[in-house]
Amino acid sequence: MMCAFFNTVCADPLKFLGNWFVVLPAIVLLLAAGASVVARNLIHAALFLTLSFIALGVVFIALGAEFVGLVQLLVYVGAVAMVIVFAILLTHPAQLEKSRTPFSGLGPAGGAAVGFAVLAVLLAFIFASPLGKKPLPPSAAAPVAAIGEALMGDYVVALIALGVLLTAALVGAAVLAMDDKKP
Amino acid sequence: MNFPGSGIVKGLAVTARNMVGSYFEKDRLTTEQYPEERPKLPENSRSFPFLIYDGQDPESGMRCVACKICEKECPPQCIFIIQDRDAAGKPIKRPKVFDIDISVCMCCQICVEVCPFESIRMDQEYELSSFDRFAPLLLDKARLLKSNAYYHSIHPTEAAETDAQLEVERKKKEAAASAKAAKSDKPTEAAA
Amino acid sequence: MMDLLEGAPIQLQAWFLGLLRSFGTPEWILAVLSALIIIGTIIGVFLVLFALTSVLERKILARAQNRYGPNRVGPFGLFQPVADGIKMITKEDLVPRTADKVVHFLAPVVMLIPALLVLAILPYGRGMVPAEMDSGILFFFAVGAGTEVAVFMAGWASNNKYSVLGAMRAIAQMISYELPLVISAIITAMVAGSLSPSAIVAAQGGFAFGFVPQWFVLTPWGFTAGLVFYIAALAEANRSPFDLPEGESELVAGHLTEYSGFKYATFFMAEYIGMFAICGMFVTLFLGGWQAPVPALTIIPSWCWFLGKICFVAFTMVWVRATLPRLRIDHMLAFAWKFLLPMGFAAFLSAACWHYAGRGPAAWILSLAIIGIPYLLLGNSFTNRFAVSRRTYQFSE
Repeated sequence: MMCAFFNTVCADPLKFLGNWFVVLPAIVLLLAAGASVVARNLIHAALFLTLSFIALGVVFIALGAEFVGLVQLLVYVGAVAMVIVFAILLTHPAQLEKSRTPFSGLGPAGGAAVGFAVLAVLLAFIFASPLGKKPLPPSAAAPVAAIGEALMGDYVVALIALGVLLTAALVGAAVLAMDDKKP
Repeated sequence: MNFPGSGIVKGLAVTARNMVGSYFEKDRLTTEQYPEERPKLPENSRSFPFLIYDGQDPESGMRCVACKICEKECPPQCIFIIQDRDAAGKPIKRPKVFDIDISVCMCCQICVEVCPFESIRMDQEYELSSFDRFAPLLLDKARLLKSNAYYHSIHPTEAAETDAQLEVERKKKEAAASAKAAKSDKPTEAAA
Repeated sequence: MMDLLEGAPIQLQAWFLGLLRSFGTPEWILAVLSALIIIGTIIGVFLVLFALTSVLERKILARAQNRYGPNRVGPFGLFQPVADGIKMITKEDLVPRTADKVVHFLAPVVMLIPALLVLAILPYGRGMVPAEMDSGILFFFAVGAGTEVAVFMAGWASNNKYSVLGAMRAIAQMISYELPLVISAIITAMVAGSLSPSAIVAAQGGFAFGFVPQWFVLTPWGFTAGLVFYIAALAEANRSPFDLPEGESELVAGHLTEYSGFKYATFFMAEYIGMFAICGMFVTLFLGGWQAPVPALTIIPSWCWFLGKICFVAFTMVWVRATLPRLRIDHMLAFAWKFLLPMGFAAFLSAACWHYAGRGPAAWILSLAIIGIPYLLLGNSFTNRFAVSRRTYQFSE
């Protein structure tokens, strides 16, 4: 599996590295994600995470998936990052510094080992999939209209299921936030 | 017509009327543009004291006789008077030096109330700022002397009353002087 | 002659680049220069507009309140922005000792970048879009979401409880109003069939009966969606009556409390440029973009029309600011979730029915009904809720 990875890189390194627009945001993404894990200050960690979301959006756009990239920016930076931020603001960060979880005994080395194990599993699945073996259609062939038609046609069940899930989450949040006393 | 949101529409109409009207109706804008338009002060408003002179020449028409009552009565003691002396050294009825320190004066008007000769009155000038805290705020006799015509222009009613009263006193004095002259003339006439 | 004026910006740029090309400059420099000229022009125009607006807004607000505005600096006070600029630059830049210095410094920067970026997708005239994107509308809202991150950074980094509270309220307001904003924009995209701003402007072209413009704002669903978009735009730009985050008497300036001097000026500038960007989007989506209202007036160049329309919409924003009092935070959020969002959905349904009923007279009446009934019901529920009723005491028995 690792040979397959190196073959892809070494076969045409110029093509792989020549596309600045993908590699640079990818590097920013990795660095920001790493900084988010390592940062001492919780807010700095949240902001680095937001930076990694932005970088991921830029990677998508650079790869030609304009719609997905913009939706990534809109949803992750505009909504998910804000949820994370609100969670930090509404809970007292000082309490979290001293909390211990069942996994606190692992330490940084143990955590990194677990992380790399997960990465290895994911890479195995990615390289075993048909992705990368077939040429991608040109980006002009996937404008927003085509995505919309695919969502409403082939993948409509997934879309409606997601809608139901989101509605349930919204109703649950409203119920949790509601006052307990009756009028 | 009371649809939801009609209040906002009515509010917008009021604001629009204000916006357009402020260009055409002159009495909407009540702002006084200060350095170009001075405010119109009421007649009784006052700032610091000034000395009155009758006629054209300040030195000869000055009403003040240096009686120093205002100097004694002034609560913060901001008036300083030196009586003038004539060529022979005898004191005469005019001040040589009359200083009012307006950085001390509190405009209480006591000097005006006690002056027997109606010679000190309250001015209306308020634009007295200067760059120095001491010298420009010590008003000397030359700066304090202002004509009776000026007094009429700032406090017309008061000036008219004062003039009428001075006229009455002058007539009384003349009548007393002529009665005394008539009485003192009679024995000389009888003797002659 | 009018055609000359119409194409003047593009022709000027082409002439200048041709001149440079004749001197032998390489092509890539010309490409970079071409982009820089466009960027420079747009930023220059909007900065001048920002300066003018900051003084004209004060003068218009003053006239609405029966007083003169600033009229000392320059003719009719129009050089006031110069005086304001000098003041802002020479003020001491205070950073609290315990503030998070890097984040505190970056917040105005992160606020300004999205405001300037979104100016790239607006169609300023016929064929004058700096960045022609297939999903331009989505770009606008995606990049606009960056503003919320900046507000949070500003509020948190100041290490001030009131700033944090103000930032939370500001973010809650911006998130709540993003939904009606996006939905009303999507309605126009749905009817026009594309997410590209130029396509939406083109879909509003032509004249019905020869002289009536076919702008979306003149249809029932378009009027409602336009109004929803306009109100949500006021809230996104933190303008009155939704200026709770930055009102002078609210939590001392909320998330901007600890900012002074040039950083405050940057926030101020970002807010105004964001206001213009959203006015530009409103003009593009609902007011027909750079198109003239009647065929006779097409002699005026398209970019003049766009600029004029933006100025008009900005004027209405100032007019609304002069008229309405500030909303309380719970009223503001209730208004977004319980009125604007349902009206947005009603407009959505109305637009769809209008389209599928054939866009004829029956379709107009149907779409009007689909909007009118929820409007009256929702509006009455809002006005009646605050009616004074008999007091009941919950724990008195």
